[in-house]
This record gives sequence, C-alpha cells and structure tokens, in this order.
Amino acid sequence: MQKPAQKEAKSSDSHSSQQDLMKTSSAEDEKGDVDLYRGEEEIQKELQDKQQPKSAAVGETQSSVSAAEDLQTYSEREWKGNTAKSLLIRKGYEAIASEFNLRRVRGDNYCALRATLFQVLSQSKQLPALLHDSEISEWPKEMHSDQDFIREWQFPFEISKSKVQHLEQCLELLKNKWQEAVQCKSLEERERMCQQVFRGHDEEYELLEALKFLMLRTAIQLHSDMEKGSDVPEFCWLLFARDSSKCPKTFLTNHLRHVGFSGGLEQVEMCLLGYCLQETIQVVRLYKCDTEEFITYYPNDHKNASPLCLLTEDDRHYNVLVPKKSSKFDSYGRPKWNPPSDGQSSITTHL
Amino acid sequence: MSFIPGHPVTAVVQRIEIHKLRDGDNLILGFSIGGGIDQDSSQNPFSEDKTDKGIYVTRVSKGGPAEVAGLRMGDKIMQVNGWDMTMVTHDQARKKLTKKNEDVVRLLVTRKSLENAIRQSMMQH
Repeated sequence: MQKPAQKEAKSSDSHSSQQDLMKTSSAEDEKGDVDLYRGEEEIQKELQDKQQPKSAAVGETQSSVSAAEDLQTYSEREWKGNTAKSLLIRKGYEAIASEFNLRRVRGDNYCALRATLFQVLSQSKQLPALLHDSEISEWPKEMHSDQDFIREWQFPFEISKSKVQHLEQCLELLKNKWQEAVQCKSLEERERMCQQVFRGHDEEYELLEALKFLMLRTAIQLHSDMEKGSDVPEFCWLLFARDSSKCPKTFLTNHLRHVGFSGGLEQVEMCLLGYCLQETIQVVRLYKCDTEEFITYYPNDHKNASPLCLLTEDDRHYNVLVPKKSSKFDSYGRPKWNPPSDGQSSITTHL
Repeated sequence: MSFIPGHPVTAVVQRIEIHKLRDGDNLILGFSIGGGIDQDSSQNPFSEDKTDKGIYVTRVSKGGPAEVAGLRMGDKIMQVNGWDMTMVTHDQARKKLTKKNEDVVRLLVTRKSLENAIRQSMMQH
C-alpha cells in the first residue's frame, strides 16, 4: 500500500515521466533521436524516494506522531533570534512548558484531524453517542441517496470498491479502533495501539476520512435543524454564513472534500469537529499569546471538563500536547484532586 | 438557607453577570471570597449553617464591577460560568473566577435577603 505523502511525490514523478513519454512520442516524429529510457541515476533516485518517504515534521521515523519532548527545549531550538514574532512564540511556549510536553504531528493538510484523532484514541474514555448507533454502516448509503453527496468524495489512497462502500469501511474501522482504545487496560497498551495506527499507512487515512464523514453528517443535521428554526450551537451560523458554504452540499464541495489535500480545517470547522465527537478541543495558539485567544476552545461552550489539548503556532499546523508528569493532571489527562486540608484555615481572597 | 449534605438544596437564585475591569495586566472583579471545602466553615459569618463549606462573598468593592453587576456581600456563589462552586476548594474557586481569557463571569448566587423575603411572603398566605 502506498503512503499518501510519498504518493504525492511519486505521482508527480509518474506525471512528469508520462509527460516525458508524450513529449518523446511527438518529438520522435520530428527528431527520432530522443532517449526513451531513464538513466541509471534516475532509477536509483526513484528507488531511494520509495524507501524514505518525506515526513517533514517527524524526522526519520515512520510514525505520524512523534514521542513526547520538552516544550522549552523545542521552543529554544526552533525559534532562535529576537524578532518580535520569535519572542512572542517563545513566550507562549514558556507559558505552558510546565504543564505539557509536545508530540509533533505529521505536517500535511490532515494534521488538525490527525492531532485530534490521536488525542481521542489516547485519552477518550468512551465512544461518543454518535458511534453507538448500530446503523452506522448505513449512513454513507443514506447520505448518498439523499443528494448524491458521496460522488465528489476524495480519498488519499486508491480504492477498490465504490466510494460509498469504502466510507462504510472507514466508519466501521473508526468505531472499532475507538472501542479498542477505550478498552485498553494500561497506558502502555494504549500507546502501543496508537503507534500501530499512526504509522502513515492507509488505516490512519481511513480513520481520518471517517472523521470527515462524521463532520459532514453532523453538518447536514445541524443545517436541517437551523432551517426548522430549532436551537443550534453558535458556530453553525458561522459555518453556513460563508458564501462558499451556504449549505452542506457547498460545504462539502468547497471545503470539506479538500481537507487533507489542498487545505486544512478552518477554525469554525474545528468547532464542528469537536461538536460531532462530543469533545472540546482546547488549542494553545502561540501567535495569539498575550491575547484572550491564547487558549481557544472548539466549540467554545467548553462542555467537556477534559478537553483534547492541541498546540498551534499559526492556526495552520497542529501538534499534540500531553500533560507533564509533574503537572496538575494525571497521566490520563484527568485533573489531580488536592486532598482537603483539616479545615483550620479560613482565608479570603480579593479578586 | 439549610444545606444538608445529600438533600436537595432549595434556594432562590440570582444571576449576576460581572464584566471584569482591565487594569494593565490584571482583570479585576471587585469582590472577595471566603470558604471552600478545604476551609474552616465555622468562621463564616454569612452562612446559616456553619457546616456549609460553600464559597461566599465576603466583601464587595464600592463602585467596582461586582457591585455594579449586583453582587452583594453575603451572597453564596453556587456556580461560575456553569461550573459548580458548592464543592470546591478555595483555590479552585479563585481559579474559576480569574481566568485570564474570560472578560465576563456569570455567577449564580443565593442571597439570604431574597430567601427571607420569599419566605415571608409565603407565610402571609
């Protein structure tokens, strides 16, 4: 199975070699002395490219999510110099360095989805209500028959069956993996499971596509609620206020189906993602350090007391934050409760 | 008000929306709190039940954001922005009130005077 990041490289190679072939055949008409065969160096290079896929954010390992590293160290290494921007970003890192460690996420246009999925699989304590439905494998068919939605769906890998069938497979996989994660008996087991998933293989991308499907399904439901005049979360108005996404169909055509390919998730789409998974995504946005948006919740009614913690320097690339051992959170991301004192103090605090 | 652990609390509540005042780097609310599950509740002058470990307003700064919003000394804070305040430590309460990224805090409070007024009006019927 080919890895998508590498697939991009390869397809551009094959595209250019296609073009070469085409050029050659027309050139041949004219000249007849153009070389049809690739040289040895070209072949060697192609073999090397196959063995070392580009994984910009993550270094030599195949993993889509790197091991935990210290934020302060990372910050000082990546943001040297004294421009106003460097100082601001480093200040942001420093503000949270005592609470969290960093896990870098593969930097393609799936990174927001990937970071969220990683946090879900490593922290979630139960399946969202959405996935409890036993009819889950009927959803792609239902959605497609409604308005031919699935016709435009793009997958980052080759598929052997119909798009609808493939999405069914993706959804089942998401449900199974989520259940598997929740049922892990130890942190180590859970981490091993996550490392198995986040290897950059088709399985990872199937899960990410399943997330996109859930987002679309939720958007359709919310839009229908809006039309009926029922109560909807605030972000819905923003989601469908954009000229390019006045309804679920255009949302899919102009935005969602490009996620992972030519674009990532906009902030309002992060709200949709959090909402449909019944999670709150807490993002530390470093370029917003010193403002009220330094830590932003998607969606911002912050219903979930244990949010999924992500980090971004620019609202484009997202990394994962994991609690530091010495922090106020235990290793599952749950707050540690301080034992009550013996009640001898009676302090007042001025606010 | 009677607070018996395990029994439902029946109280009249008031919603108070405080718009914090920015003072340089700080966001000021203009009131003080006492109480918490880690504190000595017998010292609380405002509670009817001296085992009540809730969070109480011990002082309100004159003309400050809290007074303007209608908060009064002696109010018991039940919730802050939807977060329960009846079973928190003093420090947890402080933190819920002083989040740097929140300009507005919405409190749910109960107040003895309100309670007494309702009780009296009910007794007259």
